[in-house]
Amino acid sequence: MLKYLIKRVLWMIPMLVGISLISFFIMHLAPGDITNNEAAFNPKASEESRQKLREMYNLDKPVIVQYGLWLKRMATLDFGNSFASHQKPVFWQKTDKEGNVTKGMIQEALPITLLINVLGLVITLTLAIPLGVIAARNHMGWQDKSITLFNFIGFSIPGFWLSLLLMYWLGVVNDWLPISGIHSLNYESLSTWGKIKDTLSHLMMPVIIPSITGLAGITLFIKNGMLDVLQQDYITTARAKGLNEHRVVYTHALRNALLPLITIIGLSIPGLIGGSVIAETIFAIPGMGKLFYDAVLMRDFPVVMGVLTIGAALTLIGNLLADIAYAWADPRVRRGVVRN
Amino acid sequence: MNFDLFKKTLANPLALAGFIIILCILMLALFAPVFSPYDPNEIDVKSILLAPSSMHWMGTDGLGRDVFSRMLYGGRVSLLVGLVAVGISTAIGIVLGALAGYYRGWVDTLIMRLVDIMLSIPSFFLILAVIAFLTPSIINIMIVIGLTSWMGVTRLVRAEFLSLNEREFVLASRTLGAEDFRLIFTHLLPNSLTPIIVSSVLGVASAVLLESGLSFLGLGVQPPQASWGNILTDGKEYIQFAWWLSLFPGLSILVTVLGYNLLGEGLRDALDPRSGSNK
Amino acid sequence: MISSMSAEPSSLIYMVAGESASASITSNIFNSLLKYNKDLDLEGELAEKWEISKDQKTITFTLKPNLKWADGKPLTSADVLFTWQAVINPQTASPYASDYALVKQAETPDERTFRVTYDQAYAPALDSWAGLQVLPKHLLEGQDLHSTTFAREPVGSSYYRLGDWKHGENITLTRNPNSVLGPANIEKLVTRIIPDNSAQFLELMADNIDSMGLDPIKYSRIIPARPELKKRLNLYKELGNSYTYLGFNLKHKPFDDVRVRKAINYAIDKQEIIDGVYLGLGINIASPYKPGTRWSNPDLMPYPYNPAKAKALLKEAGFVDTDGDGILERDSKPFTFEIITNNGNKEREKTAIFIQRRLKEIGIDVSIRSIEWASFISRFIKTGDFDVVILGWGLGLDPDQFNIWHSSQQKPGQFNFIGYNNPSVDRLLEQGRTELDPDKRMKIYHKFAKVLLEDSPVVYLSAGYGLTAIHKRIQGIINPIPPAGVGYDSQKWYIPEPLRRNEISTN
Repeated sequence: MLKYLIKRVLWMIPMLVGISLISFFIMHLAPGDITNNEAAFNPKASEESRQKLREMYNLDKPVIVQYGLWLKRMATLDFGNSFASHQKPVFWQKTDKEGNVTKGMIQEALPITLLINVLGLVITLTLAIPLGVIAARNHMGWQDKSITLFNFIGFSIPGFWLSLLLMYWLGVVNDWLPISGIHSLNYESLSTWGKIKDTLSHLMMPVIIPSITGLAGITLFIKNGMLDVLQQDYITTARAKGLNEHRVVYTHALRNALLPLITIIGLSIPGLIGGSVIAETIFAIPGMGKLFYDAVLMRDFPVVMGVLTIGAALTLIGNLLADIAYAWADPRVRRGVVRN
Repeated sequence: MNFDLFKKTLANPLALAGFIIILCILMLALFAPVFSPYDPNEIDVKSILLAPSSMHWMGTDGLGRDVFSRMLYGGRVSLLVGLVAVGISTAIGIVLGALAGYYRGWVDTLIMRLVDIMLSIPSFFLILAVIAFLTPSIINIMIVIGLTSWMGVTRLVRAEFLSLNEREFVLASRTLGAEDFRLIFTHLLPNSLTPIIVSSVLGVASAVLLESGLSFLGLGVQPPQASWGNILTDGKEYIQFAWWLSLFPGLSILVTVLGYNLLGEGLRDALDPRSGSNK
Repeated sequence: MISSMSAEPSSLIYMVAGESASASITSNIFNSLLKYNKDLDLEGELAEKWEISKDQKTITFTLKPNLKWADGKPLTSADVLFTWQAVINPQTASPYASDYALVKQAETPDERTFRVTYDQAYAPALDSWAGLQVLPKHLLEGQDLHSTTFAREPVGSSYYRLGDWKHGENITLTRNPNSVLGPANIEKLVTRIIPDNSAQFLELMADNIDSMGLDPIKYSRIIPARPELKKRLNLYKELGNSYTYLGFNLKHKPFDDVRVRKAINYAIDKQEIIDGVYLGLGINIASPYKPGTRWSNPDLMPYPYNPAKAKALLKEAGFVDTDGDGILERDSKPFTFEIITNNGNKEREKTAIFIQRRLKEIGIDVSIRSIEWASFISRFIKTGDFDVVILGWGLGLDPDQFNIWHSSQQKPGQFNFIGYNNPSVDRLLEQGRTELDPDKRMKIYHKFAKVLLEDSPVVYLSAGYGLTAIHKRIQGIINPIPPAGVGYDSQKWYIPEPLRRNEISTN
């Protein structure tokens, strides 16, 4: 087990280098550079001042040198400072000579995106597990079919359209939920309980809408897993032994059907992070997706590279955790019997 | 594709519904010029943002163009993006998966590592970056979606090949000295075709959704050409006022994607009633 | 008062950030030596008075007495000098450095006097001093303007000071008790950052923001159609400070031929664009100046829509439809080109579609491509790799347009990217820069606009109106809107007590 773990962790290094290479390659498809934003198009800007900016950011060096410099810094988790918002470090906070702390852009954005996705995952699972079980127990019955249809409709709606419809209905027509942002303007003056309530009500729509979209895959997975397990010998044995059907389904079968779900959750991380771009843009949430999208439009190379790398690293860590959890939960793997 | 499988699939009412939806939409898109009452790009300053009526079944847009005609032509574009993107990803997936599954060893390791790397980068980020850095055009959108979604097919084909490799008819041809190339094309590939079709059908659904997402961010198909994604995006500004501008493209995307998903899952069920969606 | 913006400023030092998002915040925090009053004449802001020497090369500013920064420290001429030095410092790489680099010498004879000397008389000088936001020396000395934390927690001298900046959420400005111009009426200005336009409008509908810029459809179709919005919002319309144009790449054939440019100008129906795209909320222009200002030549008339004349001009230039396919040819090559524009600007995209249709009617085949801003600029504009472009120019208050039209300004990245080269225009632009007498200057620029219109290097499409909705609870807005814009004197706006937003919300 330990050997397996070490091997897995070591594998992450070449993976990260590969990821950084792909990211870097994509960055250099970009014809523009930092000096081409709105500022540079002001009639008053001169070409020399833009040249100065280029030198300041090493953009005049050959690509390979830029990659080398970048990789060297990445090894120490230093993703540099943003081009577009000159002052801010990309990844983590830095302290200057006077002791002023400047927070990193990813440091600020990541917790928000993580919070939304974790809450979303919790909601998805709470809905998907019962739905999946019901569908499996009534395989091909009307319950199964309506669950499938409902799930697929959720999956097929363009998310931003559903978001805008709900924002209008819940926020404008009915004033039930805040429309955008993550805090009310009077957030600071609220009690602790009020703050929690305020944040939760702001997060309601951004969390639930992607969950509806994500429900289909997970429900189907659980349903199929259950179908699979319910036909296994040990379930038949348990039933034959006269065990209560409820217990058979919910303790024996479900536990085994849920096992592979761990891996699926690990694999879904990049999709969740990528999907956050549109939701965060609509709901005005300063998370990773918004950060990335802005950086792409501004040609803010360090931020684009930073977000891609951190996003991928999160996925790798997520997969690793999923594998460990799987190994821990499945006695066969724990004993090193199976697993490629 | 095997005819029995097809029959078995369509016995499932949801899959049948999906099949009919896809058929209808394909026909509408294919015969767009026949069905559309107006030229989709014909501007009419006097009829800006008209609500649906007998003159304009789905109303008009901000330039007075007929939304129904634009929907029909836009359907062509959206479906084309979906189909070509999936064609590209399937082709890449088949080639890499076949190489990995047939030759195994270091070829396999290399390809599978590449798959792992691609799978761990949020692919929507990659698509966004590439489209924003190059310029958004139908061609670029199709290529980029294709280039970032081949990993599933690769895994699938590889797995099929690995299992088929051990089967008797393949072993027999090998001992008979069949060339690699012939073996792959005459024996291995046809036998793994069905799961590839299933994953392609599902892939079209995601590509149509992706195109609309890119349009939302302003990186979709270029004007004046219509696509469902950019009609919907144009309409989102006026969602409470000119509801017809967003309702019809929104529903079309929903119904189409639903159709592909229902058919895809139906096919998968028919293929193996118990198999999961473990991609 | 709560407003919204779609992008967060990168820095609150405008000289470094150089973007409109930054300007809209910093203009409430910092002061300049001079400012434009509501009729767009210069008056003192930090300066009490200014004198121009006889040879026109030296300007002496005298600051108002007892000026203070928001933190209570005195604001002196040393701060002005420091700001000037910082802006021209190559390390700062300010996009505005070139405006101030012409100053040969700057000095501070005493705490209230700031004197600059130019090599030769420079007409846009005063305009440039109205644009320089003075920074506090005592907080910034020895710091790098790019990395200083001051950019996120600035201290200024104007009506407001930064209260709180929640990244990606909102920026709150609170009243500055030490404001050098007296106190503002509204205590708090909150700017929420809401990237998506539709979400912004939903917030306006739900009464969560007080003001928002509108597009023509929202202004003239949606809000008037909804009584509950009409009841709550005042709509304002003002002629914007920019115009939209169709620019030819004059280095590409056949756009080097003035007959072809004129033909296209005649073939475009500008009124149709104003009606169809701007729903009538724009005006036709014939010179690159804001209509109604002294710099705009009232004698000039835009090219009328005249397809017959366009066809005749094209025929004269050698374009005939030889193969009968409806597209003109010259030397058996069809007349076809691509219009590019930046995406995200719906009005420009729509304009392109109108132009495409009209040009098709006279036998020119046009395709359209709209491109994301950054690559639009770097890949196409900078490299000169385009045929025809739809873009806009902002209109400064000084008439100098040397950067845009002078033949020396064609290097990659400079603003004469259409490659305009006309010796008589060059001469007029050079004269205009050194002429200080306003009447003589006016004549020079009137003549310049006439030559430009005749030469038709660009087709002026329209000057659109700026459209704003502001909640009725905000009172004291000058109506009719003065030339300086709806936001002029916004420190005098106020919210009557009963109409104020409830500070402690119950839910």
